[in-house]
Amino acid sequence: MNAARSMMASMENMGISAEWLADFEAASRRPLALRMRYAFVRTYKPVLDDASFRAFDSTADYRDWCERNLPAWLGYGRV
Amino acid sequence: MGAFEYRQALEIRDVFSRHGVRYLFIGKSGAILLGYPDTTQDADLFPDKSPINTRAVVAALRELGFSLSDAEAAEIERGKDFVQLRNGPFDVDLVFAPDGIERFGDAWERRVDVEGFPVCHPDDIIASKAAANRVKDRESLPRLRAFRDYWVAQRQRGSS
Repeated sequence: MNAARSMMASMENMGISAEWLADFEAASRRPLALRMRYAFVRTYKPVLDDASFRAFDSTADYRDWCERNLPAWLGYGRV
Repeated sequence: MGAFEYRQALEIRDVFSRHGVRYLFIGKSGAILLGYPDTTQDADLFPDKSPINTRAVVAALRELGFSLSDAEAAEIERGKDFVQLRNGPFDVDLVFAPDGIERFGDAWERRVDVEGFPVCHPDDIIASKAAANRVKDRESLPRLRAFRDYWVAQRQRGSS
């Protein structure tokens, strides 16, 4: 118990909030299959999901395409 | 199409292994494999861009059920840097040249094995998101960095 408390204190000293730490601890106790079931969700993304295949010569080209074509609220634009 | 499932991740692992594909899970899907609690939609894979590997990727994807035309397969084999696939049993992005990572071999040396899944080290996942510098990456980076610190501390605790 003392070791666990010490670990929590050390994490909080590293700047990890108690809320995030609780999330990480809870996730670490779940088996991988369950973690994945909770993590992967299907959400339609306009434009992005409307083609079955896209290929870009460079990652920069892909980023440019996202900025030009996707709604800003999807968050794919560069800061 | 439903959400990406654990059994599909197992299929990627097993089929890619059978075809000798060198790849790593990267992005948020990689972080989730490492234990990061968050949500995402698709699997991001970082394959080695060597010609022999890109041919193996195409063969593996076809075995997994992706319907690739010859022209699409040729684009993957020629080594396009970013390929988005929505023509199979689940959504996959092939990221042959992720931002923030110089060479596949460097990331491969740092990889983490999670139940047989080859996963980028959290430092590489963070480096690629930091370099991409998208709005959604900026929002997720503080929590991802906190997870990296937690993950490293847990590993050190486990090995001591």
